Amino acid sequence: MYTQFFGNFLLSRGVITAEQLIEAIHEESKAHMKLGTLAIHAGYMTASEAENILIMQTHEDKRFGELAIQGGYMTKEQVDQLVKMQKPDYLLLGQILIDKGYLTMNEFENLIVDYQSENEIYDLDMVDEKKETVTEMLRNYCNFDNHPDAEKAIDYLYLLFNNLVRFIGEDFTALNPIPCPEYPTNYCICQKTHGENFSVTSAIDIDMNAAIAFASRYVHEEFDDFDEYVKASLEDFLNLHNGLYNVNLSNDFSLELSLDPPVVHHCDVLTLSKGAYLFPVVYPFGTVNFLFSFS
Amino acid sequence: MKLEDAKILIGDDSILARKQLKDVLTTFGGQNFFEAANGQEAIDKYIAEKPDVVFLDIVMPEKDGIFAVSEICKIDPDAYIIIVSSVGTQSQLKNAIEAGAKDFIQKPLHSEQIKAVLSAKFEGR
Repeated sequence: MYTQFFGNFLLSRGVITAEQLIEAIHEESKAHMKLGTLAIHAGYMTASEAENILIMQTHEDKRFGELAIQGGYMTKEQVDQLVKMQKPDYLLLGQILIDKGYLTMNEFENLIVDYQSENEIYDLDMVDEKKETVTEMLRNYCNFDNHPDAEKAIDYLYLLFNNLVRFIGEDFTALNPIPCPEYPTNYCICQKTHGENFSVTSAIDIDMNAAIAFASRYVHEEFDDFDEYVKASLEDFLNLHNGLYNVNLSNDFSLELSLDPPVVHHCDVLTLSKGAYLFPVVYPFGTVNFLFSFS
Repeated sequence: MKLEDAKILIGDDSILARKQLKDVLTTFGGQNFFEAANGQEAIDKYIAEKPDVVFLDIVMPEKDGIFAVSEICKIDPDAYIIIVSSVGTQSQLKNAIEAGAKDFIQKPLHSEQIKAVLSAKFEGR
């Protein structure tokens, strides 16, 4: 997830435009070599074994290598060897920006040093993203200091961004969160998750064209119109993500929450609690706005 | 019994989820489908159609899936109900089984899982 946040870092430094970033991210995702592909190529796994791991990843919040070791498909040494063969995606993104003439080699060198020191990424060649490092990055990104449920909120975001990578695609940049107690909706799906002492209100808001592209990626089917299936895809994604979050809360915190059915808001004002945030996520096809509040 | 001959009831508030499940079941031979968009509708359709197998989501408006399972099982203790949900927590699994569900599939759907679940009830799967 370093790449998704590296993009935001570059934007916040004002060194590239959003259009230049989107163009580079699109190319970067095409050049990215996945661990499963490397494992098949190395002869460690068959295509159907790799496919099984990808299916397991949709149910379990674990990395490919972790599940491959757990399933007895690869040893830890084999996974480490393949991980070393992957190029760190944010370096790849930088390379593309240099090739396109949007950044000079010198600028990039300085930026990468700043990015790594800001986020405590110590090894320049590190591609094996540690959950702790990404979580720390999320802490810097959100700045939820003093929020009583900061850790749960960070876990929520960590899962959300992972689910975006898994179900929609990794070619996105997460922009800085914005405090947002009230939100004027385009087409918005809102869902509440609640327990005894803890509740989450989450929403996904999107314009029609971006919704069609989002749904097409999610369902792996081409949609042309903003129809009931496209609308249902948005609900389905939010519901699936919140369902998986409930599973994580149950496993990690022994918290059992209930999920309400998703509710649609269209061109109205969504009123959230004081501690609500808007998380814009930019894909090449448009911006997806996520909102959530913890109470 | 063969899936080809079975009456299949799918209860999910998402039209997309119903379509996806129907598509997978069709590839396994299913052809006789009934649909419900909430728990109450699922109960009503069960009474009207007496399906051989029921797939139910948990989170639904009106009445949820767990409520629908227990109501259907009161009417027909032999009802063959499979819960299909994104909330695969231990407690939800326990609630579903206690209410009378025979199996639990966690979303997102994968055809192999559905095949495995169907093999317990239908021939040639």
